[in-house]
Amino acid sequence: MTRKRKLAALVGAGALLASLSACGGGDGGSGGGGGGGATGAPWILGTTESITAMDPAGSYDMGSWNMQYNIFQQLMTIPANGSDPQGDAAQSCTYDDPKTITCKLRPGLKFSNGDALTSSDVKYSFQRNLEIADPNGSSVLLGSISNGDDKSPSLADGAIETPDDTTVVFHLNQPDLTFLKVLTTATASIVDEDVFPADKLLADDQVIGSGPFKLSQYKPGEQAVLEANDNYSGDHAAKSKQVFVQYFNDPAPLKSAVESGQVDVAWRTLSPTDLNSLQSGGKVDVIKGQGSEFRYWVFQLENAAVKDKATRQAVAQIIDRDAIAKNAYDGTVNPAYSIVPPGFAGQKDSFQAKYGAPDVAAAKKLLQSAGVKTPVKLTLGYTPTHYGPNAVDEANELAGELNASGLFDVKTADAEWEQYQTLEKQGAYDLFMMGWYPDFLDADNYLSPFLRDGGFFANGYHSDQVNSLLDKELAETDQATREDELGQLQDIVAEDVPLIPSWNGQNVAVASKSMQGVGDTLDPTYIFRFWMISKNG
Amino acid sequence: MASSSGSLPRYILVRLLLVIPMMWVLLTIVFFLLRVAPGDPVSAAVGGKLDAHALALRRAALGLDRPLVVQYLEYLRNVAQFDFGHTISDNRPVLDIIKDQGGATLTLTLGAFLVALLVGLPLGRLAGRRRDTAADAGIRIFGVVSYAAPIFWVGIMLVVLVVKVFPGWPTYDIASVVTKFTVPPRTHILLLDAILDGNGAALGDILKHHVLPCLTLGLLLSGVIIRLVRINVIQAMKGDYVEAARARGIAERHVVRRHAFRNALVPVITVIGLQIALTLSGAILTERTFNWPGLGTELVQYITARDYIAVQGLVTFFAVVVVLVSVVVDIINALVDPRVRY
Repeated sequence: MTRKRKLAALVGAGALLASLSACGGGDGGSGGGGGGGATGAPWILGTTESITAMDPAGSYDMGSWNMQYNIFQQLMTIPANGSDPQGDAAQSCTYDDPKTITCKLRPGLKFSNGDALTSSDVKYSFQRNLEIADPNGSSVLLGSISNGDDKSPSLADGAIETPDDTTVVFHLNQPDLTFLKVLTTATASIVDEDVFPADKLLADDQVIGSGPFKLSQYKPGEQAVLEANDNYSGDHAAKSKQVFVQYFNDPAPLKSAVESGQVDVAWRTLSPTDLNSLQSGGKVDVIKGQGSEFRYWVFQLENAAVKDKATRQAVAQIIDRDAIAKNAYDGTVNPAYSIVPPGFAGQKDSFQAKYGAPDVAAAKKLLQSAGVKTPVKLTLGYTPTHYGPNAVDEANELAGELNASGLFDVKTADAEWEQYQTLEKQGAYDLFMMGWYPDFLDADNYLSPFLRDGGFFANGYHSDQVNSLLDKELAETDQATREDELGQLQDIVAEDVPLIPSWNGQNVAVASKSMQGVGDTLDPTYIFRFWMISKNG
Repeated sequence: MASSSGSLPRYILVRLLLVIPMMWVLLTIVFFLLRVAPGDPVSAAVGGKLDAHALALRRAALGLDRPLVVQYLEYLRNVAQFDFGHTISDNRPVLDIIKDQGGATLTLTLGAFLVALLVGLPLGRLAGRRRDTAADAGIRIFGVVSYAAPIFWVGIMLVVLVVKVFPGWPTYDIASVVTKFTVPPRTHILLLDAILDGNGAALGDILKHHVLPCLTLGLLLSGVIIRLVRINVIQAMKGDYVEAARARGIAERHVVRRHAFRNALVPVITVIGLQIALTLSGAILTERTFNWPGLGTELVQYITARDYIAVQGLVTFFAVVVVLVSVVVDIINALVDPRVRY
């Protein structure tokens, strides 16, 4: 064969392959069956979230929990854009008193393998979650029904009673008005006691639940395929027979994929720059919903520079949240004036009430009254990648605002997340950036973890008044009284300033024009409800 | 004194035995470097959620609170038994990761070598044959640039270019989601599975997905090949056998192709084998750029998650590949050139 013929053969082979791929490689083709009443076309979700474990006992992260919300049922659920728990596997769960909850299951529930779902499965699910106590798991959220033994964790004796197949009674070891909301989280997912081992996690690709979808395929780090569950009988029937979840290691190819139509929806996490670029491009819809992501600045109260309350109050008086939202995040976040985000019962913009607009003169007065010598030298810490690439912009913006006041002499310092966590506890920073996603939608989830005895970030803050109020609101059955107590807690934070709220995130997705229902699921729970979404054509 | 016929087996044996201390040193370095680096899988995963006590309990559950020496000895014992353990962050057997994702890295690497040869050999030959001409200068610049340019930058530029010209061309992953769902896994090498399944559409889809990543990594490798081929062609063109061929009146293009070029390829083949380490490091960056589901992508993710077990296992696997390839290359060299055995 001559060289020219070889070349022609090569080109021909290439053309043949290209035409073959055009015939069947498209992303929107058909896959498997299943699906009962679901009629919508298959669609593809692209995400940078990853999966730690499909088994509910082995994960405490957004990527895993979202798969579990679609595969498993919980006793209760938070409806899209709602805040009060409603029945899911349970018809109802109600407090008999602050330490007792009784749940009645829907009759006739089945897992996707056909096994009946009974109260025994519910008890088993909680028990194994606590006993496995997986290092990556979220059994810590079940403290109110645990035996409290670190070495042999288990369900406390009598914590769950199952008088019949459809009744579950929880006896909490302390008054806990948030436990009903814990029942809505993926950690409370109900598993089949005949399938899931009691003492270890089930393999990811073998999980089965009673939710609207069943898992058909899982390739770790690559993709998961969900198909509508024919045995599902709840309120969340799937609109699409099949959903592909494509995992991305980096936002750049995700942006390219959604822009070119290779994925139908991109959800978590594109940068503000990417989102603005996609929005201005007009090829896809950038859909925004209310979020509950929260970013804040913590004072290390053990450090001399910020021990004085007046110094912390002066920082709170100067911070310009609008400028941070605009300059550091291109307007894609909302300024936060409380450590509890808007929309939560009892939320109160205490920082706005106390400090009003940014005011350098007022800050100067605060420092002078307290006899604080200016400029106050501060080290401001942040971590450059863990909270996204814009964290450095936020740190520089805040440092710039403080320095421009002439009252502070701020230098910034950064470290990667691993080291950062150690350094902040060691007092390397006077003021440092932290972020938070809620475990469940209750104001307490933004208060107890931050305020009780220095919080998980160990910043040295302690207030008996705060601890007492936290205990009270957790046990308070009267809603109005509880909201008043939550408001008091936020006022104390604005007065003591152990930390300063910075901004609340939005829940954003990018979708092709053929998608429907994406906006309906974008709410502060960050539950991506696949069952609500469909694709035309 | 000429080598005896028995020296080759001895050489191979010594070469293989040397692999053991090499691997031990490598494993030790990897183990202690990971422990010296700040952080751990627990704080990487849930450090922003739990207090110090809860974090300590989780570290203890993973055995990370035990003395370093104990962890080290246990690690060596397990590796000696070919037990690479389960990852900490998502509880996967490390051997499963190698089995599941190794195929994607293998096809990317082989595809890149193919591109490198298709680009590097003709350009290197042309540059050598036309030494010190404008064509030579242009090819040499191309070789240097393709070798020196950051892979992710080359990859992104190719994506931008291809999307402009062919808007529907796939820019990430090894295949479309439907292809990956429908092709039954037999060998864990998707390309091979599609062929075994007789699925032409899937095969076409997979090959389309291979184009951009293989081109990106292949261009990097082609720079090395261009330079090597060029130098060797220039050397070969000075050889007596080339002069003799010319004296016999053979056309210049035949002299180059049949005599100079073929002889120039011998050292090139040896060096290409040694490029495997460069290819693997390049594959990590290429996989990252194209969301390629290979071992490089896995390695980066587990490094980010501070997953000691996964990183140790994957680095060990990469090291074994590099060491084995270098041993094979050494043995081939020894077979070809007996002087190497000394």
